[in-house]
Amino acid sequence: MVTLPSGTPLPRTTAGDSRGPSLQVDGVTKRFGSVEALSAVSFSVAAGEIVGLLGPNGAGKSTTMKTVLGLLKPDSGSIGLFGKDVGIDPIETKRQVGYVPESPALYEFLTGAEYLDFVADMYGLDAPTRLARIQQFLTGFELAGHENSLISGYSQGMKQKVALIAALAHRPKLLVLDEPLNGLDPRSARITKDLLRSLALHDGVAILFSTHVLEIAQAICDRVVILHQGRVLASGTVASLRDRAGLAGRDLEEVFLKLTGTGDLRDVVDALSR
Amino acid sequence: MDLHRVRRLAATLVASQLRSGRSSSDPRSFLGQPQLIAIVDFVLFLGTLGLADGAVRASGISSGQLAALAQAFLPLLPLVAVGVVLVAGVMFELTTTSKFAGSDAANWLPVTPTEYVSASASAIAYTYSPALAIALGALLPIALFGGLAGLYALTALLSLVALFEGAVLVEMVRSVTQRASSVTAGRRGQVNLILRAVVLIVVILALQLAFNPVFVLALAQRLSAVGIVTSFVPFFWSTEALTQWAAGSFAVGAGFAAGQLAFVGLLLYIASDLRRSYWVPSPTEVRLEPHRYASRSSFLALLGLSAAESAIVSKDLKGLVRRREMLPTLVVPIVLVILVLVEGKALGGFVSVVWVGWVAGFSALLISGTSIGQERKALQSLYSYPISVGNLVRAKTAYVLLPSLLFAVVLSLVVGFFFGLAAPEVLGVVMLVAAISVVLTFWGLVFASRFSDFQDRPRAQFLRPGGMLAATASGMVLLFLILIPGTFALLVPSVFSVPLGLLCAALAVGVGGLAAYWTVSGFRQLFRQLPF
Repeated sequence: MVTLPSGTPLPRTTAGDSRGPSLQVDGVTKRFGSVEALSAVSFSVAAGEIVGLLGPNGAGKSTTMKTVLGLLKPDSGSIGLFGKDVGIDPIETKRQVGYVPESPALYEFLTGAEYLDFVADMYGLDAPTRLARIQQFLTGFELAGHENSLISGYSQGMKQKVALIAALAHRPKLLVLDEPLNGLDPRSARITKDLLRSLALHDGVAILFSTHVLEIAQAICDRVVILHQGRVLASGTVASLRDRAGLAGRDLEEVFLKLTGTGDLRDVVDALSR
Repeated sequence: MDLHRVRRLAATLVASQLRSGRSSSDPRSFLGQPQLIAIVDFVLFLGTLGLADGAVRASGISSGQLAALAQAFLPLLPLVAVGVVLVAGVMFELTTTSKFAGSDAANWLPVTPTEYVSASASAIAYTYSPALAIALGALLPIALFGGLAGLYALTALLSLVALFEGAVLVEMVRSVTQRASSVTAGRRGQVNLILRAVVLIVVILALQLAFNPVFVLALAQRLSAVGIVTSFVPFFWSTEALTQWAAGSFAVGAGFAAGQLAFVGLLLYIASDLRRSYWVPSPTEVRLEPHRYASRSSFLALLGLSAAESAIVSKDLKGLVRRREMLPTLVVPIVLVILVLVEGKALGGFVSVVWVGWVAGFSALLISGTSIGQERKALQSLYSYPISVGNLVRAKTAYVLLPSLLFAVVLSLVVGFFFGLAAPEVLGVVMLVAAISVVLTFWGLVFASRFSDFQDRPRAQFLRPGGMLAATASGMVLLFLILIPGTFALLVPSVFSVPLGLLCAALAVGVGGLAAYWTVSGFRQLFRQLPF
């Protein structure tokens, strides 16, 4: 079990925190030319809450995350982070956010240690803090001993771990994680899941993360938001979605397939196997 | 060998080059089709043909003189064609990121090494064919008016073979350099990185110099003076075939031409074998000395850079020397410096200072033009960090200026010493060349912030072709506008020295200021929203 870097923990908060949501997305629409990638998307993530963003390939999950972070500008709608519009003080806002992109593009000509030191410089971490936190994470993710090797020689899982450490080391209040468990071995995946739960529960970190592995979403998310063709198809707890789909007692996969209209798998498999 | 498969693979490789940097455009557009190059070839051929035809008719040169001219130039064309493909290929084809070497689809598709080498070499030859189209268009009227149509036809055929020969040599060097990258892997730390960079730079440099058209032509002329020697060197067999043909020895000429074809076949066999042996590099772990965290460069801090800005500068400087695809940025200035040192005495002080100013300015333009595109997809990380556009402008400017100014000062001092310039003149040259480096740094950043290419692809480019052309053309005009009057003011004392010096300074300040302003606005626009 990984040990979190020491520091003063944030007050424990819950989904119904009176300070309002850490992330508030209201009616966000984003177009790329004639393609409407997001259409009036609205949802929120409260402090201490883990929200799973689910959807088929091309549903708009990554676009949503990039828009939330200010990497993409919405054509309409608003995004509030910690009660402020994301555009008002973007630098201060970014200081409180940790982000793992879908395919982390790391500087592969740096070593793992050089890269994490670089990211620590970006977030302005002081020397003792960065050293302590990076070492703890390296050990926890079993990267200790590899940190002075060039990232170009790392496996996909090792690169994913570096990306996760880079997102976590400055102790953000909001984590935006796009497929964070991609390529991780079972041990590291378990550590990451437990760590996310712990950060949400004990430190009040708001977490928005996307995944295609519905069992994971079911296991760790307080709520899920299902995107389909750029629209929010459904959102709520897994139990409420089951009820809405009329599939009480069934797993999230069946609920997901029914809601996204991709449940006619039998015919597809039959056709492909011929 | 399945020729249909070779043709499909070659067409795919050419299309991937043509569509680079235009990921959002319609791939069905004609501009993304391989046929575009054939159209360009045809247009260039007709264009230069028309110009040369007009020039030949207007010149009034006799057919005998034209025949002599054709006999002098046509035999050298295949040799120059090999040189052009090899020099360009080594610069732009060999510096691909190694991560694609193992994941290239051709590695697991049912494609034999011979088929891959044939396809890749064909794609390279086809890509650089416009250079040959220009030469053939220009030489056709000379050959026709000189009554040497047959010699021209054979030249065209052997030049096409030469394009392919140069491309096969590029494929051989590609495999050998993969091997060179791997043999250094066992060594520890920085030694590994330095060795790898040195090996690659030496290979590229040697080929650049050995096949540089200037040197190739000089070598051919020297060898032809001793006649028989070229007969034993296969690289010269095309030239020998054309020379013999022009002299009326058709059978001997045909023999050399056949020998040249056989030699290209042998090269293809060797290249296939090298690819089979060395192509997929074994994954290597390069371990460096333990990193010292938060060890901010005091020099960068002295320059007034913040910790975040210093970190970006350090990262980029490491990338400049560690990344295979950045090597041309280092090699081009070295080749140009070697050329100036070799030809320096003959050129004289004035031309050498202009040359040095050009090399320094071009180097600054090259580094700054690639400074943003080299971020690739990692650019999105820069967007997500709590840093401002101002931080990025300062960091990228410092990253370009540090090596560029160092290079400019050292080069100016070398030239000053080489030509025995007085101390005030040397100081003036240093200031002039440094000013040009600063102006071209901002000029490159203007284009980098607007035309950078962030796509990850096997054959890397950091600036979209249109941006690269525009930056180079406009940058060179600006450079000479400042450099020529500045050099006159420094080295040719006259009543105009002071006005010329003032003009040069005003231009440098004006253009530099404008470029800096456009750089900032370009960065603001770029960092408003992720461009991919």
